[in-house]
Amino acid sequence: MPDSRLFHRPLKQTRRALTLIAFFAAISVTAGCSNLGVKPWERGLLADPDMQLTVSGVDAGLDDHIYFSKEASSGGRGFGGGGCGCN
Amino acid sequence: MQLINSSKNGKPVGRALAAATCALLGVQATDSLAKGQPGEWDVETALLVYSETDDRVQAAEPVISATRNFDGERKLNLKLVADTLTGASPSGATPSALPQTYTSPSGNGSYEVAPGEAPLDDTFKDTRVAVSANWEAPINRDYAYSVGAYGSREYDYISTAVNGTLSRYLNNKNTTLTGGLSLGVDLVDPVGGAPVGLSRMPINSNKSQADFDQEFAATRESDDTKTVVDALFGVTQVINRQTLMQFTYGVSYSSGYLTDPYKILSVIDDAGGANYGGNLVGSDGNSVYLYEQRPDTRLKHSLYWQTKYMLGNGDIMDGSYRFMIDDWGITSHTLDLKYRWQMAKSYLEPHFRYYLQSEADFYKRYITASEYNAGAPTLTEASADYRLGEMTGLTFGAKWGYRFNDDRELAIRAEYLIQTNDGDQGFGSLASQDLYPDTNAMWLQLSYSF
Amino acid sequence: MSTITVSAKDNPAGHPLPQLHGDQFSWQGRFEAMASPCDILLDGVNRKDAEQALAFAAREAWRLERKFSRYVSGNPVDQINHSNGEPVAVDDEMALMLDYAAQCHDLSHGRFDITSGVLRRAWRFDGSDHLPEQEETDALLNLVGWNKLAWHHPQLALPEGMEIDFGGIGKEYAVDRVLLDLKQSLPEGGSVLVNFGGDLACSGPRPHGKAWIVGVEDHQKLSGSSETLSLRGGALATSGDSRRYLLKNGIRYSHILDPHTGWPIPDAPHSVTVAAPTCTLAGMLATFAMLQGAEAEHFLEQQNVQFWVQR
Repeated sequence: MPDSRLFHRPLKQTRRALTLIAFFAAISVTAGCSNLGVKPWERGLLADPDMQLTVSGVDAGLDDHIYFSKEASSGGRGFGGGGCGCN
Repeated sequence: MQLINSSKNGKPVGRALAAATCALLGVQATDSLAKGQPGEWDVETALLVYSETDDRVQAAEPVISATRNFDGERKLNLKLVADTLTGASPSGATPSALPQTYTSPSGNGSYEVAPGEAPLDDTFKDTRVAVSANWEAPINRDYAYSVGAYGSREYDYISTAVNGTLSRYLNNKNTTLTGGLSLGVDLVDPVGGAPVGLSRMPINSNKSQADFDQEFAATRESDDTKTVVDALFGVTQVINRQTLMQFTYGVSYSSGYLTDPYKILSVIDDAGGANYGGNLVGSDGNSVYLYEQRPDTRLKHSLYWQTKYMLGNGDIMDGSYRFMIDDWGITSHTLDLKYRWQMAKSYLEPHFRYYLQSEADFYKRYITASEYNAGAPTLTEASADYRLGEMTGLTFGAKWGYRFNDDRELAIRAEYLIQTNDGDQGFGSLASQDLYPDTNAMWLQLSYSF
Repeated sequence: MSTITVSAKDNPAGHPLPQLHGDQFSWQGRFEAMASPCDILLDGVNRKDAEQALAFAAREAWRLERKFSRYVSGNPVDQINHSNGEPVAVDDEMALMLDYAAQCHDLSHGRFDITSGVLRRAWRFDGSDHLPEQEETDALLNLVGWNKLAWHHPQLALPEGMEIDFGGIGKEYAVDRVLLDLKQSLPEGGSVLVNFGGDLACSGPRPHGKAWIVGVEDHQKLSGSSETLSLRGGALATSGDSRRYLLKNGIRYSHILDPHTGWPIPDAPHSVTVAAPTCTLAGMLATFAMLQGAEAEHFLEQQNVQFWVQR
């Protein structure tokens, strides 16, 4: 029987596919629940500046630049800085 | 009962009152009189000092970021970063039992590495300046947008980019959907010109200067460009009073000159005999090193998930996970955890980051003489850049901040990174060399916002 | 003109039903709440949306009136005031109000105190010259003091005999709450101004950038307006004693009492009006200014807000 790539997915690829599926499932479950959330007068804690997703843009920018020049991955959270000759 | 001291500045009271009112009404901080008042600039300045062990890279980076808020939740941010870099980084060659000589990127000099030492190229120092601007504004009650531009320059590299995002609010602003696009063009102009990939690095020894110059000129290409297109799609969701989450999917496509012009690979003799596992010696009596070559396109996908949770006592936990996969064969996982411990006027935030990366398909710690095939390599791409290899990174850090009042804060942050690499261990005499030294780096940042 | 139907469940105090005047796209809705005439002015919306907005505003104002008033038997405030020292669990909205009251107490160095309402038993501000005895006010001081109660989310324990009174925050908070909710639900192009007895806030300018015209009351005339303002955003609130004071030997005693002494703040202005992004903030800044007595103007000058002080 011919060896077909379709039937012999290596374990690594299966794991990657599962991670992707799990991620999208998590997103759809969360975003789909429109009963999640708070009433307007319950936003007090969330309005705290320390509860922003990125508290310090400067810290995030500096760290992103360091990791960009030392690793093969970059970004993920949003559009931060731009390129440089360091990678 | 004495009156409140009339000479005392009442401004902090007003600011604190405005912030307290925001908490009561549940409006965002930007609606308040405190930080973010229209007509004022909120400035954050910082100085970062970075240092790697073993005489490797040292850098100092001052940053200044200024935000001005306008009526109606519109804001403008301008940022200026400079970094001065000195020190050495691994060139990709392997250490050897014998001394090694390499040609510097300009072709005008050479540097030596002692036996057993990791080959580091330290022949250049660099200064980079980057500026960026970003504008955010609502379109109407349900939509908001942002646009931004970026430019940076160092002596051998120019980078420019523009980006834009559109956000849509749903469910009483409990859900925010965001889509964004970024376009970037980089211009690479390496010292000495970009080398032809997988060509042999000419060594100025055992030959005349004229012959060397000719050899050097033959291995050069002109400067080149790189274009990058990034897109992202994100969902930010309020889970409950204390919890906020974000999911982002990003895709990035780069094309053009993606190779590092300063990195090389060692060619290792795999012919049986005395030199098995040693550097291959070429016809001119010098060791053979090849300039690296990476593919000219790269497609990356990333998934990012972040959660922020506030405990009953006001402390905040922040955790994120990023998964990245690309068509160079690299998969990476990044886990980032922070805990902000709130005290009366200050906070302490320990931080832990775990990073795991698999090696690129074309990553090779060295090339064998058979693959080199006497100048007609059997490979089309190869790179020994440790940053594309199997890698684990652990970062431990902490930040301490002191709040003078609502809009002045002083903070100090320290981080320590331990990076370990792994891969093919070599053969023959190469196997006794340390092919994967650890990289340890430390950085310290002092910031002041006002 | 039309009358808006609100069910009896939403109108427990039995106020007259809200009335809507106007035509085309400009509407004025009126009802009564918190012992004040309440106006909802709408511009750039059609009749149906105006009716819905007015109905919502009335229901919300009456809900808050019922919840935070100290006169309504059995409501959360009444339960707390009759708890005889036992801890009472409060809901999230009440908890936020208590947190806010605590912060205001802190920031005013104790002069803003929602437990100071018991002092009204000694003071009757009817324009007469009848001042209480020092012994009366001293006795009541034992029942005044935010520091005497125990507030730990979500439990409030109020010692016997003490009372809490949200009179100093309630109306302005109601204005902001109604405005924020109307802002969310109004269609594109509509704008609204919410005015509860002189404490008001608007969602932005009227269509085509026109301003809302509001009057600032003059204490000496006690009717009509002395000054008009053009409002294109934000809120206005007034802290004043136009109708509540005592006059003896030529000295005017304002109804703003110092919780530390039990007596009126000396040299308090007759009224303070402040413009700020929200009504609650405007009201609290005005109150803080009054509590500063002679230093009222100096305090407000440092806040970068527009203000009017009448002495």
